[in-house]
Amino acid sequence: MTKTAKKPGGESSPARNGPKFSLWNFWVSATLLKLLLIPGYYSTDFDVHRNWLAITNKLPLKEWYFEDTSMWTLDYPPFFAFFEWILSLFVPKFVRKDGCLDIVKVGDFGLPTVIFQRGTVIFSEILLFAVLQIYINKSSLSERSANFVVASSIVLSPGFLIIDHIHFQYNGFLFSILIAAILAAKHQRYLFCGFFFATALCFKHIFLYLAPSFFAFLLRVYVLNFSNFKFKSYYDLISIVQWKNLFKLGGVVLAVFTVSFAPFISQWPQVVTRLFPFSRGLTHAYWAPNFWAIYTLLDKILTLLFLKVPYVHRLLTQIIAPPLIPATIEEIKWKLQQYNVGTKGLVQDVYFVILPQIQPKLTFLLTLFYQILAVIPVLFSPSFKRFVGSLTLCGFASFLFGWHVHEKAIMLVIIPFSFLVISDRRLLTPFRLVVSAGYVSLFPLLHGSADFLLKLLYTLVWSIIYFLALRQVTKMSSSVRRRVFFFDRFALFYIIMLLPMVIGVQMLDALKWRYEILQKYEFAGLMIYSIYCSIGTLSSWVGLSWLYNFDEPLWE
Amino acid sequence: MTAVKKVSKKSFFASPLYDFLSPFRPVGNQYYAEYVIVIFALVIRCAVGLGSFSGESTGPIRGDFEAQRHWMEITTSIPVSQWYWYDLQYWGLDYPPLTAYHSYFFGKLGSLLDPHWFALGTSRGLETPDLKSYMRFTVILSEVALYIPGVIYFTKWFGIKRKQSPIGTYIAAAAILFQPSLILIDHGHFQYNSVMLGLTVYAINNLLDGFYGPAAMCFVLSICFKQMALYYSPIFFAYLLSKSLFSPSFNIPRFISVALSTVIAFSVLFAPLYVFGGVKNVLQSVHRIFPFARGIFEDKVANFWCVSNVFFKYAENFTQAELQKFSMYATAAGFIPSFTVMFFYPKKHLLPFTLGACSMAFFLFSFQVHEKSILVPLLPITLLYCSSDWNVLSMVSWINNVALFTLWPLLKKDGLSLQYGVMMILSNWLIGNFSFCTPRFLPRFLTPGPSVSDVSESYRRRSLLPNSILWKLIIVASYVAMAIIHVLDMFVEAPQRLPDLWVLMNCGLGFSCFGLFWLWNNYKLLTMRNTSFADF
Repeated sequence: MTKTAKKPGGESSPARNGPKFSLWNFWVSATLLKLLLIPGYYSTDFDVHRNWLAITNKLPLKEWYFEDTSMWTLDYPPFFAFFEWILSLFVPKFVRKDGCLDIVKVGDFGLPTVIFQRGTVIFSEILLFAVLQIYINKSSLSERSANFVVASSIVLSPGFLIIDHIHFQYNGFLFSILIAAILAAKHQRYLFCGFFFATALCFKHIFLYLAPSFFAFLLRVYVLNFSNFKFKSYYDLISIVQWKNLFKLGGVVLAVFTVSFAPFISQWPQVVTRLFPFSRGLTHAYWAPNFWAIYTLLDKILTLLFLKVPYVHRLLTQIIAPPLIPATIEEIKWKLQQYNVGTKGLVQDVYFVILPQIQPKLTFLLTLFYQILAVIPVLFSPSFKRFVGSLTLCGFASFLFGWHVHEKAIMLVIIPFSFLVISDRRLLTPFRLVVSAGYVSLFPLLHGSADFLLKLLYTLVWSIIYFLALRQVTKMSSSVRRRVFFFDRFALFYIIMLLPMVIGVQMLDALKWRYEILQKYEFAGLMIYSIYCSIGTLSSWVGLSWLYNFDEPLWE
Repeated sequence: MTAVKKVSKKSFFASPLYDFLSPFRPVGNQYYAEYVIVIFALVIRCAVGLGSFSGESTGPIRGDFEAQRHWMEITTSIPVSQWYWYDLQYWGLDYPPLTAYHSYFFGKLGSLLDPHWFALGTSRGLETPDLKSYMRFTVILSEVALYIPGVIYFTKWFGIKRKQSPIGTYIAAAAILFQPSLILIDHGHFQYNSVMLGLTVYAINNLLDGFYGPAAMCFVLSICFKQMALYYSPIFFAYLLSKSLFSPSFNIPRFISVALSTVIAFSVLFAPLYVFGGVKNVLQSVHRIFPFARGIFEDKVANFWCVSNVFFKYAENFTQAELQKFSMYATAAGFIPSFTVMFFYPKKHLLPFTLGACSMAFFLFSFQVHEKSILVPLLPITLLYCSSDWNVLSMVSWINNVALFTLWPLLKKDGLSLQYGVMMILSNWLIGNFSFCTPRFLPRFLTPGPSVSDVSESYRRRSLLPNSILWKLIIVASYVAMAIIHVLDMFVEAPQRLPDLWVLMNCGLGFSCFGLFWLWNNYKLLTMRNTSFADF
């Protein structure tokens, strides 16, 4: 009938141009979805950021880090405070009236404030889209489609959706600076790399965990030059340092830090105590899925075992000397009473009954140890891939062994890993493990029933799309060594079982009122989450470390 | 045939939906496309569900949410014989029995989770967050079970018949599943229209496959869920009768199977009412279902009676009985054309057209119409997104926007303005209606373009507007009028004497657009009656 209506235009040219790989459509659709999330749940982090808006707007700069009317004191580095200050300049009058900028103990605000603050998150996230669009545009034609998959997987990440747009934070914006640094490293713009990473650090100091890798990489590729190096005496070591580059890089980084911290130089100790509060416990209220979750579980199992089967304890005391484990059953009981552990998941500090207590120093050393292991190969042979690998492993080390780790920190692993995974198909298994376990471990952040289906379905559809897309764009293995298929199958099984785990825990939660045993173990659901997810993150780390350390052709 | 194939691929060519789904074109990936669009459709429904529902934290009577919850409360707690009698002043059950069984099922299920939600008497006006989540969940579950598979089957059937690429059918399915009005009413305002509509789609699917008995049964189920499905009944009647009488001659087994399945479905559905309460109970339910004692229209609705009531006050000049008679005549006159076409030309591809024209006639002229009833004509009309005719697609997209616009006063009252705006933009943007205004002022590296599909960067998709200049003018003018009414509604206080002026203007515009569309639809039927499927 009216077939002439269609314009036959688009058919001829695409073969010439190829797709443009624009993130525009993704931005529009994602933004529309995020707008729908405005009336939904938000966590206390919302009031935290509102309070910071108020502090930076109402108080002179020198009081920012001293103000403590609300318990949500400013504990981000100065750039973030400046960022909040700039945002606060745009608060319209009706939002002001709503109580958005009041310095009070507990925020008293309504929908206008919510709309404004959610709007700032959505708006600031544009930077993420822009940076990733540059990443796509700058990539060579052969790898453009793969890079597009990576970029779109990051902008649509359920992690950002859950943490930023429901829970409330500004990670999308903050990570875009980190991604800019990675991007600069990829294109050998090392000064920019240093600049962006320093900036990112001054926005959110959690990026400090990635600092060893950046430091080693920049040092090796930009500052040191081994090309004409011949060792004759120690004086020759001086000649490998490219002093000009060192001063340029140092100047850039120091300039960033100066701009950031100089206004607060007189209150240095106060800023430091705010930024690094070591008074917190080993694990967060809900254990992040890391090594310590398994450690804690082991302690609980051993306690139970020793109490129920005293013989095991007697046997063990023969092998292990008493100070390391409690000498008698009475001591265990006494400790139990003392710490009042059991099922109270909300204690600020976790004590262990059987296993040795964990000191902050130990977690710090462990983290550092694994980070150094990750960094050493970069010093030997600084390729971009190896650098991103070391970034990922640094993120892993801090996440798995750090002190008071938040589940949100998994993004520090997932984002660098995303840039890595397209280079080899064998990396796909550890990547799938860490994204699925990592994103699922974010679910307890949204504990209301209203978001349950949303977070589950969104993560599910993201996984379907990107597991499929990444498999298609990743290169076949560069190494001749065969993959261990058993491991792949097992990982797939683990990932699929996440679904019944999530639904099961939700059902447990819904039926809690009915059975007393469920009330007694109120936090069993959260424990299941962190234990199950920590298996995924740990195995992903093991898998990646193996490839990183022992599979040489992959990283060139 | 190749020409058809080429064109049908292009129905939504270069729209964002096309762009999103084009990575699924390789055969190995097609399998996933279905899941991806369904899950995204569900995600959007969940997100809309975060908003408020009708009557959330208002007054003692509240709204549809409370009505549905209350029905779960009474069906699970009191005997069947009392269902249609219990405290009629407070949301007495006034839907057919399948709604009651549906409420019973979800009430029982919910009581397993928390018995307080549906406890008799004490649960009135309960609005805990968990209850809200559960109720939202039941709507989603009902839709997943009925409406979504029905729509997908329908689009696949049309796609295969027209030798469309699988992705083309999925794009059509996505366009239908992202229809904003149904999402906002079911998941925002709170109702279970998707059950009724889903059952109707099943009936249509059965007709397409030539299963006449099951089709009749599905349609009866649909009527027995919500009496509004009666808007379709003349067409189903005409089609089934015609297929039984002249196919090519009187087909007795088919006739008997249709008649029997209709009777059996009705009797099975009403049997519990009869068994537990006798004839009186059945009559009471029928009396409750058809409330002729109420006015000729309810609230403000974009149909003939409400709009012409501005100029001529019916209630003052005629008795209720007279008005009923008038509306009956008008409705009959309205659906006779589509009925006749369906009876004499029982062709499968005409089904959505006739269903649309017939139910639109009911919406415009029948008695006691709600603004939400527009969803009934909207269903067959939206199914026409399967078409490859640019004019049809344009009209469908236009009428979807008009329908959404007429729901604005209701959604505004429910506090769903944000969801309304977002869904309006989203649904239009997805099918490519905003391609004309993609920003070109952005820096070069950010300039919008297709993300994955092979559409060239400079290609600009035409907005969905018909080819005829007259229709173009009408449609653009209606959009401008909508914008003006929205602006007035938002920024200008209505005059003292006419506090409902903006709403009335909304209804007036809606009625004119629906009327025009209905005329077009009938004209289309007239011209299409002799076409075959291949021409469609």
